[in-house]
Amino acid sequence: MAPAAPIDVLERPRGRRAGRGGWLLGIPVVGWMTLLFAVPYLLLFLQSFWRAGAFGTVTDWNLDNYRAVFLGDSFAGNIYLPTLLKSLKIGALVTLCSTVLAFPVAYLLAFKVRVSRLRMLIYTMVIVPLWASYLLRAYAWKVILGQDGLLGSVLDRVGLGGTFLNDLLYSEAAVIIAMTHIFTPFMILTIYAVLERLPGSLIEASKDLGVGRLKTFRSVVLPLAAPGIVAGGTFTMGLSSGDFVAPMLVGGKDDVMVANQIYSQFGATNNWPLGSALAFVLLGIVLILVAVSTSAEKRERI
Amino acid sequence: MTSSDAPVLPVADGGRAAVGDTAVTLEGVRKRYGDVLAVDDVSLDVRAGEFLTLLGPSGCGKTTTLRLIGGFEQPDRGAIRIDARDVAGEPPYRRPVNTVFQQYALFPHLDVRRNIGYGLRHAGVDGREIARRVSDIMELMQIPEVGDRRPRQLSGGQQQRVALARALVMEPRVLLLDEPLGSLDYKLRKDMQFELKRIHREVGVTFIYVTHDQEEAMTMSDRIVVMNRGRIEQQGGPEEIFDRPRTAFVADFIGDTNVVDGVVTSVEGDHATVDLGALGTVGGSLATSLGVGDTAQVSIRPNDVRVEVDAAAAAIVEETVLVGGHVAMKIACGETSVTANVPRGKGLEPGTAVRLDVDSERIRIFARERA
Repeated sequence: MAPAAPIDVLERPRGRRAGRGGWLLGIPVVGWMTLLFAVPYLLLFLQSFWRAGAFGTVTDWNLDNYRAVFLGDSFAGNIYLPTLLKSLKIGALVTLCSTVLAFPVAYLLAFKVRVSRLRMLIYTMVIVPLWASYLLRAYAWKVILGQDGLLGSVLDRVGLGGTFLNDLLYSEAAVIIAMTHIFTPFMILTIYAVLERLPGSLIEASKDLGVGRLKTFRSVVLPLAAPGIVAGGTFTMGLSSGDFVAPMLVGGKDDVMVANQIYSQFGATNNWPLGSALAFVLLGIVLILVAVSTSAEKRERI
Repeated sequence: MTSSDAPVLPVADGGRAAVGDTAVTLEGVRKRYGDVLAVDDVSLDVRAGEFLTLLGPSGCGKTTTLRLIGGFEQPDRGAIRIDARDVAGEPPYRRPVNTVFQQYALFPHLDVRRNIGYGLRHAGVDGREIARRVSDIMELMQIPEVGDRRPRQLSGGQQQRVALARALVMEPRVLLLDEPLGSLDYKLRKDMQFELKRIHREVGVTFIYVTHDQEEAMTMSDRIVVMNRGRIEQQGGPEEIFDRPRTAFVADFIGDTNVVDGVVTSVEGDHATVDLGALGTVGGSLATSLGVGDTAQVSIRPNDVRVEVDAAAAAIVEETVLVGGHVAMKIACGETSVTANVPRGKGLEPGTAVRLDVDSERIRIFARERA
């Protein structure tokens, strides 16, 4: 009789079903990705070392674009690095806000809602907004936060209307609110995914060993939910610091984020090489973020 | 000490007299989930230091009873006392009991030492003291070498021992074990039965053990409480339960048996004869008092049935199968059929006409159970 092996859900069965010609099946995907993904990225990367001429890009190898990103240039001054840092700050705040909002919802869904229909209803309510266009949802905040908007008029009615609301739309706060709204559902789903797999018996075991509710939460639930929080956080941080719709719609003229700058380099300013350099710096930061969080997750797994 | 056969008496108010003698008392405990009465008016005294097993089929209320003692559920009615202290409304983390969970519930993010030391650490026990107690208990569990591993790197048997260590290191008054051997393979399960018995003897803690496996219950327990449909059917020592079942359910659940319906034809003290129709009339001992003409159920253990070839008899062998060390024969007699166990090589060809014979002292007679 075989000894009982420890159950490892993470281990995948390793089969070698593919025959010799199996790799042929990969050609369409690899071809597609190379043509439409890798090649444009490569072109963009090369371009970031070129120079914008009067009537187009000049193949003139240099590092000026990267210098401009970090130190500024004579044309616009030092505007790129501060904007990049601000984008990262906004991204971090959005991540923080959506985590704080999402965790209780995910926790309720996973442990407290025992009626499966109610759970389904809440789950659907979390998902439904994802089916509406991003643009629409960002616009909705214009309607809510505007001077004569939903929030303003309600507050006016109850006598709480005041000046502070006048400044809410077209501000950094509005950008954070709109993006928090957009990313919270993703956070809920990723955190719920880990909490749902967390056996209730672990919580019971902790209580059984004399540990109260709060400490149980801190020493069992939170550490085991960490991979979900990290995954959702990376996702939110990466996407929100590179977002350009929310700042464009609900941000003020000073609330430009790095993506808006990239957008304008490829548009009005017509400096593709600088735009490419900006894009690659942002991409580099996001990749570092992903690498760090992946390695953190791996360490947690062992 | 109360005789295990006598009905369990409720402990007097305050329960002081029971200190040192009774570890856990359940008194008229009831628990309902929706329409299902999971535990129905259960009263039970668990003596300090005893190995008590709650035995029954799934859904009989044994696990719920355990969870009520552990504090994971609160009773709708009735009282639970641990060490003569009423624990009504107390959460699990205030009760002097610890649990070994069915799937062990080891913390996957902590290594073995931290798993075992978890409760002590949160209780604020000094670090060196924790290290010493954890090492001691790992020694007792015979797993001194796995301290740095994570639960998923352990075999099922090792996980089992860690779960036991984690509960026992807290030095509980009562250890609750919820089908702890259920997910181990057969051989390991047999080994762990002896191992649990040894650990129980060495630590002297009261064990309340839940299982649906009658063999497990028989091997390890000082006392078995058989449960069915939320109620206690019978409690007593393993031999008593096996030899003198009080209901047909108990007879059927503990070991193999044939349960045959019949009508009482004569009663003499605790002895009676029952007409079993085509099987004829048999004598046996009464488990409950019955009168002539009452419907009854008779339990005949397959090991007690003697089979002899008799061409004139009405019983016919239907099927003969080899079951490990013996041969089981299914024998039809009119509408009813009976199983008889005979030694290997003594099995008969299907179709053989046979005569059946049973010692009347091996037969138990019960009142007919509500269907």
